[in-house]
Amino acid sequence: MAKILKTDKEELKIANQKLAFQDSEKKKRAAELAVANIELAFQNDEKDKRAAELVIANIELAFQNDEKDKRAAELTIVSDDLVIQTERKERQKIANKELKAINQRAKLSSDYTLSLIEASLDPLVTINASGKITDMNEATVNITGLPRETLRGTDFLDYFTEPQKAKEVYLKVFADGFVTNSPLTLKHNTGKLTAVLFNGSVYKDDKGKVVGVVIVARDVTEQKRIAAELSEAIVIAEMATSLAEEAKNKAEKAKIIAETAVKAKQQFLSNMSHEIRTPMNAIIGFTKVLLKSEMTPKQKEYLMAIKTSGDALIVLINDILDLAKVDSGKMVFEQIPFKLSSSLSAMIHLFEPKILEKNLELIKKYDQNIPEIILGDPVRLHQIILNLLSNAVKFTPVGKIIVSVKLHKQDDEKVILKFTVSDTGIGIRKSKISSIFENFQQASSGTSRIFGGTGLGLAIVKHLVESQGGSITVKSKINNGSTFSFLLPFKKTELKIEENINKLELDEDLKEIKVLVVEDVILNQLLMRTLLDDFGFEYDVASNGKIAIEKMTQKDDSGISPTYDIILMDLQMPEMNGFEATEYIRNTLKSNIPIVALTADVTTVDLTKCKSVGMNDYIAKPVDEKLLYSKIVGIIKKRNIANKFIETEVAPTTKVTDLTYLNTRTKSNKMLMMQMISLYLEQTPPLINAMLTGLMKKDWETLYSAVHKLIPSLSIMGISADFENMAKKIQEYASNQQIADGIPEMVHQLEKVCKQSCVELTEQYETMQKQ
Amino acid sequence: MNENISATNRIKLFLVDDDAIYLKLLELEFLQHADFDIETFATGELCLKNMDHKPDVVILDYYLDGIDKTAMNGIETLDKIKKLDNNIPVIMLSQQDKIDIAISCMHHGAFDYVVKSETAFINLQKIITRTFKYKKLKKQLNWYMERM
Repeated sequence: MAKILKTDKEELKIANQKLAFQDSEKKKRAAELAVANIELAFQNDEKDKRAAELVIANIELAFQNDEKDKRAAELTIVSDDLVIQTERKERQKIANKELKAINQRAKLSSDYTLSLIEASLDPLVTINASGKITDMNEATVNITGLPRETLRGTDFLDYFTEPQKAKEVYLKVFADGFVTNSPLTLKHNTGKLTAVLFNGSVYKDDKGKVVGVVIVARDVTEQKRIAAELSEAIVIAEMATSLAEEAKNKAEKAKIIAETAVKAKQQFLSNMSHEIRTPMNAIIGFTKVLLKSEMTPKQKEYLMAIKTSGDALIVLINDILDLAKVDSGKMVFEQIPFKLSSSLSAMIHLFEPKILEKNLELIKKYDQNIPEIILGDPVRLHQIILNLLSNAVKFTPVGKIIVSVKLHKQDDEKVILKFTVSDTGIGIRKSKISSIFENFQQASSGTSRIFGGTGLGLAIVKHLVESQGGSITVKSKINNGSTFSFLLPFKKTELKIEENINKLELDEDLKEIKVLVVEDVILNQLLMRTLLDDFGFEYDVASNGKIAIEKMTQKDDSGISPTYDIILMDLQMPEMNGFEATEYIRNTLKSNIPIVALTADVTTVDLTKCKSVGMNDYIAKPVDEKLLYSKIVGIIKKRNIANKFIETEVAPTTKVTDLTYLNTRTKSNKMLMMQMISLYLEQTPPLINAMLTGLMKKDWETLYSAVHKLIPSLSIMGISADFENMAKKIQEYASNQQIADGIPEMVHQLEKVCKQSCVELTEQYETMQKQ
Repeated sequence: MNENISATNRIKLFLVDDDAIYLKLLELEFLQHADFDIETFATGELCLKNMDHKPDVVILDYYLDGIDKTAMNGIETLDKIKKLDNNIPVIMLSQQDKIDIAISCMHHGAFDYVVKSETAFINLQKIITRTFKYKKLKKQLNWYMERM
């Protein structure tokens, strides 16, 4: 325990010490604390100050924050703006680029335009309001010969030859705003002039104020040259046209002259034939009468000479007429049934005396395969063979003549026959063969002196053969003989021929015939009396148509008019001619008594007229005794037969229509022909009615129109030109609005022929339809 | 096909005549002698109604109002055709060989005047040929004019 006390004391001591120390320490610390307190207070003060400052700073900060916020907001807006602006900038950039490109292009195009303007050959000038040149192109420089610098600013009027006129034009541009194609002349400084067409228009600034004029002056020197050339060409063309016109007129005149000449020729031939035939009629007729009387052989010989000469003359006239007919295309071929073999025999028979006289041999070879009856024109065939045969006989002094007919070809419708006439005569030289068929040609000019003849025979033969669709050839060896052969087509037919028509001996049954002869020439009356006496016929003679009608209508004591069986009617007579008489008999007396014309003029014109007025047949003067007899007998027999069967049937009239023209025109196209015919049948009857009404009511205009329209179709249907002329005459009278003698008759005749044509064409149409 | 091709090259012809027969005959003649494209009309009125078919040549009868007094006559028709197209050549046909008619036709602008006769067709054909020559000349002239 002591130890613990000791330790406690020590420890107390230590503790006291420690306490003392700690006190001191405490004191020190309190001092320090006080200092620290002061410090602290100061520091607190400081702190307070700082806090205040901080508050202020805080306020400031808050304000600043506020500002910052505001700024931030502003910034956002600005930033937005910026975005927009950037975008705009981008766009502007693109736009700029485009603009640049456009500018580039504009520049290019402006360059291009400029180069175009520069390249233009037309001077282009711009002028300001005071008339001074502001710009120009190269062409201007060329045309004026002055450089641009000189031109610019000068008065543009100075460059024209007529400045006054140029000024007018220039003023006009300002007044009207433009001017086109004003002709002016530009002047080169060397004096060379250039014709230009001045075109200009004003140009304006943005405000529409006129600042100047653009002018194009077109160089028309070349055009002027072309124009001059052209007008020259036109003048030449016009001259050529007038020359052509003149030539045409000349040709037309020549044509008219030629046509007149042809007409005159035909008229001449027709007249001549008439004038020669009339006296020949008497000469030959009385010679024949005389030959029957008693006379000395010497007298008989002389008379024979007269008759032979007369016959020869008639043959010549016939030949000439035939040729004229062929030339004018008026030769008409009949289509009648005939017996070829007997026709041929009769022909050869004619030559027998001559053959015997010259001691020649005549051989006939006839092909039995040829159909007995064929359809054709026996008269013309007769004429052909007659010509060849007479040549053969004429030119053959010794030897034989062979006439042969062979069947060359045949089909269902037709036969082609080969006719040959060969002789052992003098022959034809080779050089002459080609020309023997020409008019007035004989194998040698000397031939006609020895052998006679006109040289027309072969020309006629050739025409006759060829116009019937045949061909003729000749072979010949000089001094050895000649062979003429021709091919000729004939239609086959089922028709029979009326026999006896050509019988020459007098028919005993037909003695009781009473003939009325109407003839004014006493000599011819006498001849007819003689002939009719010979035939044993009764007759009366009237010297003109009027007397004939009186004779027909006069009654004897018992009140009976004489009945004639046939009338032989001359055509040209005083008082009343044959045509008028026939018309009267047909239309007024309503008689269908056969009337045979006696005519000296056998051109077709008269024949168609004969037929159109209703004559049955004709006989050419000089009257051939046998022909006259056979005609009289033939007609009367036919009539008797007709009367037996159909009492009412009128004497057969000849056809008025002829489809040859239509046939050629349509090239035998049946359809076309039928079309044409039906058109005619449709159109014609109303026209006939119109014509008749026109005549009745004296409505000349209607008459004129109807006839006018009728005319062209007449010739188309092959109706004789007589009727066409008749129609033209009617038309002429109608246009003069006056009725002349004979017009109503002509109208009625026209009506008749048109009506008949309608009947014929209807028939034709029906037949064609059946085919 | 072939026909179409040739149709474009063919000359188109108008024939106008109130005489049906003559009209037909003329048509036949033309068809036989050359390859024409033909239209025929009995009256001037019908012809005018069909002018839009553009004929190259018109052949026109002078006396179209013969029977039908109310019908348009040849000269009237001619005038109307010329009014429609002055360039179409019109050839007048007449039965009468009268100088005053011919002159009057020419005054009214007819290309030519032909009298109906047997040779009429040949004349017509020649005249048609001439119209084409004339047309060609005119065309040349126009060409030059255009160049001016």
